[in-house]
Amino acid sequence: MSGILEVDRVSIAFGGLKAVSDFHLSLPKGALHGLIGPNGAGKTTLFNMLTGVYKPDQGTVALEGRRIDGWAPHRIAAAGLARTFQNIRLFKELTVLDNVRVATHARTRVTVVGALLRSLAWTGEEAAVTESAEQLLGLFDLASRAHEQAGNLPYGDQRRLEIARALALRPSVLLLDEPAAGMNPQEKIELRRLIQRVRDEFGLTVLLIEHDMGLVMDICENITVLDHGVVIAVGTPHEVQRDPAVVEAYLGTGH
Amino acid sequence: MADPAITKLLQTTMDAMAVGSLYALIALGYTMVYGILRFINFAHSDIFMLGAWVSFVLARALGWAAPGAVAPVWAGPFAIVFVMVTCGALGFTIERLAYRPLRSAPRINVLITAIGVSLLLENVGQLPAAFGTQPQRMPTLLPDVALAEVGGVILRSVDLTVIGVAVVLMLVLEWVIYNTKLGLAMRAVSTDTRVAALMGIPVDRVISTTFVIGSSLAAAAGFLAAMKYPGLNQPAHSTWVLLGLKAFVAAVIGGIGNLRGAVAGGLLIGVVELFGAAYLSPHLRDVYVFSLLIAVLLFRPAGLLGQATVEKV
Repeated sequence: MSGILEVDRVSIAFGGLKAVSDFHLSLPKGALHGLIGPNGAGKTTLFNMLTGVYKPDQGTVALEGRRIDGWAPHRIAAAGLARTFQNIRLFKELTVLDNVRVATHARTRVTVVGALLRSLAWTGEEAAVTESAEQLLGLFDLASRAHEQAGNLPYGDQRRLEIARALALRPSVLLLDEPAAGMNPQEKIELRRLIQRVRDEFGLTVLLIEHDMGLVMDICENITVLDHGVVIAVGTPHEVQRDPAVVEAYLGTGH
Repeated sequence: MADPAITKLLQTTMDAMAVGSLYALIALGYTMVYGILRFINFAHSDIFMLGAWVSFVLARALGWAAPGAVAPVWAGPFAIVFVMVTCGALGFTIERLAYRPLRSAPRINVLITAIGVSLLLENVGQLPAAFGTQPQRMPTLLPDVALAEVGGVILRSVDLTVIGVAVVLMLVLEWVIYNTKLGLAMRAVSTDTRVAALMGIPVDRVISTTFVIGSSLAAAAGFLAAMKYPGLNQPAHSTWVLLGLKAFVAAVIGGIGNLRGAVAGGLLIGVVELFGAAYLSPHLRDVYVFSLLIAVLLFRPAGLLGQATVEKV
């Protein structure tokens, strides 16, 4: 149990359907790990369990040595597990800057009375929060659009803003759910650089769901392959590509 | 000698602003809760009623309601803070006990629960240990002096205080919503509750805070209404229901979920109701308000400042 994210024998069923069974994953700090599998394999379900949207039926999740399974989503996020979404889910009516500030704010405690009192007393906290949000936007080339409504950004910018927003939580582990979906080849090249840069500059550990095999094989050191909720292969991109079970899951039998 | 027509116009405008700003204060609570939870909190108008009655009970307990008693200068400020705190706490409790357990239930269940809470408050309010079933007369807790005469209208300090306090509270709310982290969290939760939680926002606390703020604004409106109209009907009287209903109409007319819409809707209703009563017929004042509602729903169903949502298929 030395990894920054330890997922041990996690399972969940919806009705009679086992969506994920006995999933295991151990990510060392700084890892860039891929999670692939055919549609419906349970990848996003796994993300939902890690981030507290679903509670696993069995198994444990530990972040930096602390058990987080069963926690409410906002506590898990504040503890350092951040994510993006397969279908972009920005706060569309808020500005680009506010989208990032929302997540920055989360690091400080909010109580009903405390929030009211602090809201009424200017503490300088607001200014610091805005400044750090602006810095983050600068890193993502979004500074010039800070005051636009997030929903009005072009698609590629929205994808990058989602990553910026997740980073505002100052996470130790970042879960990216198909960040390249809908991107053109040029944007994918930029995204690849961005993911690597973010990992290095923020000292992050990244778990990446992606259907673009070129991207996954290129940047991930290790890959876990899911099919029907079961891990069918784990290894380096090279190993995984040659694994007969993986080939069968993707292409069917008879090859 | 002032022209009577101008006097009437000025007097009606003054009253419309006072009544309208009270509607606006109540409408803000309806619209804030709707914006976040997408349900109509029918118990909200009862918080308004409680704001008025709690201030009466407070005044009676402190001896300000006795015949010939004169309330000290600090009575008004103290009473408004007192009712805002107690009703804020009540709003917190109602949300915690009645609505939070139903967070993942179908919305109709929450709606019916809200009606239940409303009936509960009205009926408990009638108990002898609470407010009883007799109407009462609210003592004057605010300085009531004639400040000036403009065009034949006497500007009374009570009227100006009602308008002034309502405006200040609305400005504070506006500032909280658009300039503080709490306000940002509220806006994020109202846009996408689940994602807000995943971005580290304690959604339940934000919802609790919303109820506290909405309830204390309604309580303030209750206190101010009791200052302007000191005759307090018994807690379950239909006048309370009707006032709350009109505030709800104000929220809908402005665009439910939209704060500035609620304020605009409240003022508009105040104008329509009082000008209709003054210039057409005083017996039909409710008719004007609900006719306006029907017109808005027919021609601009999302409300004056609301954005029409397009259902994607």
